[in-house]
Amino acid sequence: MEDDKIHPDSRRRFLKKLSTGSILAATGLAFNSLSSCKDKSSEKSTLLTPDGKLVQVPNSEIEAMEHLYHGAPPDEAREGIPGKKFVMVVDLSKCKNARKCIQACDKHHNLTPERPYIKVLEMKDNEKSSPYWMPKKCFQCDNPPCVKVCPVGATFKRTDGIVLIDNERCIGCRFCMAACPYSARVFNWGNPPEGKLDIPYSPETSLPSKQGTVAKCDFCPEMLRQDKLPHCVTACPNGVIYFGNELEDSVTNGEETVRLSTLLKDKAGYRYMEELGTKPRVYYLPPVDRLFPFEKENSENSTS
Amino acid sequence: MKATLFNIIWVLKISWSVLIIFFSFNTVLAQEDDMMEDAKIELSFIEDADSKIIVATATNKNDEPIEDLELYFYVKRSFSNLPIGDFFNATDETGTIKVEFPNDLPGDPEGNVAILVKLMDSDLYNDMTLETIKKWGVPSPSPSQFHEKRSLWAAAANAPIPLILIISALIFSIWFIICYIIYILFKIRKIGMVT
Amino acid sequence: MSKQSEHQQEFRERREKDLLRHIIKTSLNYKLWIAFLILIILIGMYGYYRQLKYGLIVTAMRDYTSWGIYISNFVFFVAISLVGSLFSSILKLNKNEWSKPLTRISEIIAVSAIICAIVIIIVDMGRPDRFFYVIRYLRIQSPIIWDVIIISTYLVISLILLYSSLLPDLALCRDRLTAIPQWKKKLYRMLAINWRNHPNQLDMLQKVTKILAISVLPVAFAIHTVTSWLFATTWRPGWDSTNLGPYFVSGAFMAGAAAIIIAMYFIRKSLHLKAYITEAHFDKMGKLLVLLSLVYLYFNINEYLGPAFKMVGVEGEHIIELFVGKYAPMYWFVQLGGLVLPIVFLLFKGMRRSLPIFIISTFIILGAWFKRFLIVIPSLQHPYLPIQGVDESYLHYNPTWEEWAITLASFAWFLLIITILIKLFPIIPIQKHEHVSKRHPILNF
Repeated sequence: MEDDKIHPDSRRRFLKKLSTGSILAATGLAFNSLSSCKDKSSEKSTLLTPDGKLVQVPNSEIEAMEHLYHGAPPDEAREGIPGKKFVMVVDLSKCKNARKCIQACDKHHNLTPERPYIKVLEMKDNEKSSPYWMPKKCFQCDNPPCVKVCPVGATFKRTDGIVLIDNERCIGCRFCMAACPYSARVFNWGNPPEGKLDIPYSPETSLPSKQGTVAKCDFCPEMLRQDKLPHCVTACPNGVIYFGNELEDSVTNGEETVRLSTLLKDKAGYRYMEELGTKPRVYYLPPVDRLFPFEKENSENSTS
Repeated sequence: MKATLFNIIWVLKISWSVLIIFFSFNTVLAQEDDMMEDAKIELSFIEDADSKIIVATATNKNDEPIEDLELYFYVKRSFSNLPIGDFFNATDETGTIKVEFPNDLPGDPEGNVAILVKLMDSDLYNDMTLETIKKWGVPSPSPSQFHEKRSLWAAAANAPIPLILIISALIFSIWFIICYIIYILFKIRKIGMVT
Repeated sequence: MSKQSEHQQEFRERREKDLLRHIIKTSLNYKLWIAFLILIILIGMYGYYRQLKYGLIVTAMRDYTSWGIYISNFVFFVAISLVGSLFSSILKLNKNEWSKPLTRISEIIAVSAIICAIVIIIVDMGRPDRFFYVIRYLRIQSPIIWDVIIISTYLVISLILLYSSLLPDLALCRDRLTAIPQWKKKLYRMLAINWRNHPNQLDMLQKVTKILAISVLPVAFAIHTVTSWLFATTWRPGWDSTNLGPYFVSGAFMAGAAAIIIAMYFIRKSLHLKAYITEAHFDKMGKLLVLLSLVYLYFNINEYLGPAFKMVGVEGEHIIELFVGKYAPMYWFVQLGGLVLPIVFLLFKGMRRSLPIFIISTFIILGAWFKRFLIVIPSLQHPYLPIQGVDESYLHYNPTWEEWAITLASFAWFLLIITILIKLFPIIPIQKHEHVSKRHPILNF
């Protein structure tokens, strides 16, 4: 009885979210919508994929996807997505501090502007060099100091390279925050600002957030499970952030897709503070041959 | 005065939108009139010791080769398709185009890669996509190889064995002493009872 | 009966009377003192109630300064607790007779401090309701787990240490004290576990004391070394140091000795034990304190000279902040007022008398507390990446009244445990189960 009441409502909400999500995906993925099930160009191909002729989506399927959208429950979330090792490349020469990644991230993680997961930092390597913008997320280190120090295994490293936090296990000791050299972690000091979200908790979305626990950038695994890019990648108007599967040697910023190895070789990719030995999964491309002049205020961030 | 100005603006606005609708309708009609046809593309895969080449041959409905037809070659990846070949790949006068497949591109654990050849945005031919799965990739490590190894950042169950041994030895020795002392205290109590 | 044994008998009776007096009689001052402590604790509990209700948002801690005075207070209490091992192990194994009357004070302080450390670390948790997850989901790789293991071990060993040395006196209380409430009689009877001064019992107790004297030392060193690893296993400036273990341990011994002197001063005054805690004891403690402070000074120089010489990146910024920046007044108060000047002053015999050394010890204790503040907070405010794009409140750390109230309550709680233990048990060991020096029947040295 009660289930009947809840379901239509949550389904509607899901569809709403799905549609906004797919608009983002459509704009982001531009011409390569082949992997999407709503593909029409597959009509004429010799495709052998079973989802080639998709007309109506049965309700059961929607519900299965709804589960995915919310992210896996805590136990399942400890398993990585098989056969993947996610990697991010941030091209510093293209960032003009448009702050769209922060806004998209804040929106999807229900964050308030004064406490974002993503920060775009104004950096200056030395007195003579010019300043540049450095978008900073969680580096999802392969030798993660935060995971090492967690006394209860509330934060964990998955096989797909992502470091997540289980807010149903976190005891709030904040040792991980002290251990992270990149200040990637934030704490839910008080009640979550969004009030009560009526969805089951998942470490993959970090929603709903819980008072007295740690949170951070999570690479949006609930999107990755649907083969969609993280929100910050699709939101960036300048194609700064590339994302992909290291095992496939390919990263995309939503517009262009390039080989990871070629990109890092050609543009001298580096990882921030390599000397700490944390082995980050986020690479940076140096801020050379910039696309934009360094401005604190510009047309894209002034509205925010 | 003011009212007439408003009227004029309204008339302009409406006529403008009518014009737009008309013209867009027209262009749609024009495309339909053009009689877009289906191209026929045949793929063959040439493989020898040091190179792998995709050969695509395009013909029209009269089996005549299509010259200067732009084709796009991709390898399917998780989030998008990775372009291979040159920036532009157009067929020659025999309707043929050769694209080299990179030797070091990873495939799935068996080495399979999905190669896509697309015909897009042509003025004369309908869009189409061909997908072929070839065992041309470098096999990627199978998911079973990603089991968590014992390390300081692993889960509790995968703690390094030396660490477990050292800590257990320390805990055992100190708690053995504590238990021994408690045992002596019990003995002290027993002696007191006897006397 | 010879005259000498008569004399001894008289002394023994006087000693028992003096040292048991405070257990029987309850002064008004004592009641006021307890009431005062309970009031402070109640205010702190109200602060904690607010923290439980609204979350850690009521504190001044934010994402950068993610550890505040709770953690520095925790480190302080762990440091104080080391003093038990100083007396029961180091001084005992060195066969110091003079320190024996002070052993019980040190053991009581140790037990009380370690209990406070445990309480304050629970206060710092964002989710205290999940405290037992530490056992349920225990991850042996985490230094916090090492700390939990070693602190609980040290708590048990400190309790046993206190108890085993108290045992003969408990039997004495059971036998001598008749005009006391029934529950107290029951308590002494139960705790005295049939102690009859039987030679076999004496032998066994001596064995226990010896084992404890040897085994408590590594545990005490471990407890503070592991606590230092909570910091040394990270990359924060000021924490990322191989020196941190001995630096913490030596600082703990100095703070503990100062705590003992303060306790001695108050116990001597309020329990009228001038004949048992003498000026000579203060003099000896003064000398000991100089030695311990010198060791701490040595590790301090080690801790700051290297980074100050090299001035590497954020480590250099951190040093500048301490030496001449925002934290300079506190830093120099701690280093000069709490370390260098006490060493200089205590070199003079006149300064090792009870009142001046009490004042000096108070400065050392204050310095020790603020030193822990300086270890924890400025380090967190100097991350590798610049602090940008966050709320203004994230940039500073000025503890809120809730934090101060809870911290003061932890001190009150610390003093309350000490006061109650002193009230219940003889603070100077009366009966001796160990080899007794014949030199002085009362003072025992």
